[in-house]
Amino acid sequence: MKNFKHYLYILAATASIAACKPTIDAPTPSKGSADFTRYIAVGNSLTSGYADGGLYLAGQQNSFPSMIAAQMQAVGGGSFGQPLFDAAQASGSGYKKLTGFDANGSPILADVPQTAVRGTITLGPSTYVLFTKYTGALENYGVPGIKLNDVDNPGYGNANGYFERMFTNSSPTITTSYQDFVTTKSFTFFTNWLGNNDALGYATSGGAGDVLTDKTVFATKYAAVIAKLTATGAKGVCATVPDVTTVPYFTTVTVAAVLAGVQKAAPTVTGLYINARASNNASVTTYVPRLATANDLIVLTFPTSKMGAPTVVGGVTTNPYPYGLDPRNPIETQYVLDANEISLVQDYVSSYNATIKSVAASKGLGVFDAFTFLTNVKTTGLVINGVNLNSGYISGGIFSLDGVHLTPRGYAIVANEFIKVINSQYGASLQQVNVANYNGVTFP
Amino acid sequence: MRRILLIGLTFVPFLGMAQGFQVNLHGQKQIGMGHTGAALVQDGASVLFNPGAVAMLPENYIQGGVSPLLFKSAFLPAGSSTQYNVANKVATPFTAYAVWGPKNAPWKLGLGVYTPFGGLTDWGNSWQGKYVLESLDLKAIYFQPTLSIKLADYISIGGGFVYNYGKVNLTKAIPLASAGAADGKAELDGSGHGYGWNAGIYIKTEVGMTVGLTYRSQVDTKIEAGKTTFTVPNALTSSFPNGTFAASIPLPSTMTLGLGFYPSKDWTLAIDINYVDWTPYTSLDFTYSTTTAALQNTRSARNYRDGFAFRGGAEYKATTKTALRFGGGYGITPVQDGYVTPEAPDANRYYVTGGLGYKVAKSLDLDLSFEYEHVNPRTQTNIESQLSGTFQTNVFIPGISLAYHW
Repeated sequence: MKNFKHYLYILAATASIAACKPTIDAPTPSKGSADFTRYIAVGNSLTSGYADGGLYLAGQQNSFPSMIAAQMQAVGGGSFGQPLFDAAQASGSGYKKLTGFDANGSPILADVPQTAVRGTITLGPSTYVLFTKYTGALENYGVPGIKLNDVDNPGYGNANGYFERMFTNSSPTITTSYQDFVTTKSFTFFTNWLGNNDALGYATSGGAGDVLTDKTVFATKYAAVIAKLTATGAKGVCATVPDVTTVPYFTTVTVAAVLAGVQKAAPTVTGLYINARASNNASVTTYVPRLATANDLIVLTFPTSKMGAPTVVGGVTTNPYPYGLDPRNPIETQYVLDANEISLVQDYVSSYNATIKSVAASKGLGVFDAFTFLTNVKTTGLVINGVNLNSGYISGGIFSLDGVHLTPRGYAIVANEFIKVINSQYGASLQQVNVANYNGVTFP
Repeated sequence: MRRILLIGLTFVPFLGMAQGFQVNLHGQKQIGMGHTGAALVQDGASVLFNPGAVAMLPENYIQGGVSPLLFKSAFLPAGSSTQYNVANKVATPFTAYAVWGPKNAPWKLGLGVYTPFGGLTDWGNSWQGKYVLESLDLKAIYFQPTLSIKLADYISIGGGFVYNYGKVNLTKAIPLASAGAADGKAELDGSGHGYGWNAGIYIKTEVGMTVGLTYRSQVDTKIEAGKTTFTVPNALTSSFPNGTFAASIPLPSTMTLGLGFYPSKDWTLAIDINYVDWTPYTSLDFTYSTTTAALQNTRSARNYRDGFAFRGGAEYKATTKTALRFGGGYGITPVQDGYVTPEAPDANRYYVTGGLGYKVAKSLDLDLSFEYEHVNPRTQTNIESQLSGTFQTNVFIPGISLAYHW
């Protein structure tokens, strides 16, 4: 028995020594040749955290630059100030939320009212909404709506409430251009995702309400803004402009789906008429009615209730023909990005992206090719940590309710793509963001 | 018009059987000796290790044992330094054997109840792979009546029938957020059964070496009506109808060749070579009683290859009452690159064991065992889930058994 106890102690001791958790050696995060002391994010709504058709606190808190900055902090990155709406005004500009699905499975959206509007200002023919001022530290300079074309306009801040709120003075007294504003305070690293709105503004208005920024103007201004951003030796990453046909704003409501809806009530209808651009030549701007094809894209916000009814304005019938079903009353151009408009936009985007890549290369900057990335997502989908993601509206998990901007999960994926570029361009080893921590569309 | 097909939310399936699910804890004496035993006549555990050797047992046995198992697995996602660990949970594989035959009769009857497959992993609901798996509790209990016959003093054979009762409970997150919850959740809970058989032959050679060869058949375990419980946002409950699921898992066949050596009165040495035929496990299919656009039947490739284990062990009778045992082995994983899953993050592994036997009374044995198993780190991107990172697992298994023999 004495021996037995002796052996028992040995066995117990062995067991207790061994009983611990495994530890896997992790690579030590490193900043490589980059310096993240002050990182600034330059860009538009995508940079600001805009989602669900508005800028609001929860969206801002899930902006991709804030996620990148959090990873930079592990390797000496500084604090990252964002122009957040305060908690009492959390709904910011107001946004859309999903309240359910109707019997057809179509989503029902409701407006969350704005809480951060302080007034409006009328400049010339236009009236602009002004938001509660932000006075704190500022590293995220994402301004919804800004085009590259606007960055050197000293009066732009007077006409964009999201930009105006970053200034201490108010519209209409602002005289500092965006590119001067963001470079006022010294910084060591930047991301620059400008240029989307130069094409998207035209596209989302169905080619009707906006114009494409001239290719040469784009090249000149892009080179100028990058020259300013790199003037003091800062390093950074630029991103390209996605193909507009990869976003659900244009791919969800299809010609075939609208036609099928019409045919439920009127089985004899065989086609839809749209008012379409006659040519993809930029200088030919005439529109003519024609039958729609699968190559024409209808915007997400198209009110399908208009289909087949005579057009009535203020109780007076202005067009007796069935809307969209007769060449004399075609679907209006602002609801359709027709094949020629697509071709035109794609030609411009291609030129913009060539500019972005060559300017970035000339300064030794990294490039996140958002064009290629989102095209691949549309073509093949994306699986991350067991989640199937794609470019589908709501179900895809990446795009928010407005069909253009991203969900928190989508922004996390974008943050990781930027991080991969930062790591490869500058020999850094920033950690990836855990995409599983961020949600897609919020369901009721 | 903006009809939404929730195809993107389709349930990505789960559950892989791996060597990690093969539980080789079948008797404290044998664990102590590195899981060898096909060519030894130790005790009632021969019902499992080699039904052919049961008739050679000098006595009748009734025995039971338990081996509390601490499965400590860690995951380091690719590009991250945040390590995730499974929760501390203790699985309890057990064994119970009875062997009886009239004195001096050339035959013996046996019954074994044991747990050759199982798993208990709980990664929690906040880790990187929560959409692949949160937790899994899997048990397979085999019931095996056995008949063994001594053909001559030097050779005996035996065989048994196997009834398997299997039980599984699995949870994972569904990537659907609502205002109140970051994720939905799926729970699958079911039980099923299967049948199989085993057989073995035991030979004493003239040079004193013993040889054992055993075969345990594949046991196809079918869960026909497991219960599904989906927790999703209210607007989507119709897309995830609660109902039942069916699944089938081929618990693999194994073949073991064992050799026993007896260099002196006090020493017993044994080696076993174990071959596990996982190749029938090509895919794992789940069929739901009600499918929707979001909830589809699934078929996941597994494409397992054969698994091997090489084991060796020794027993030293330190005194007339105490026996010291030690052993170890090396296992080659059946899971190919790209198919590693968090249920049982498998890789090649080595293990060392130790054991202590004590004769409490003339007819009562107390046996203790301890095993440490180290599953090699394995850096993988799963083809199906794209979960990418490094898994590493250590397993700690103390154990105790009592055997009464007469």
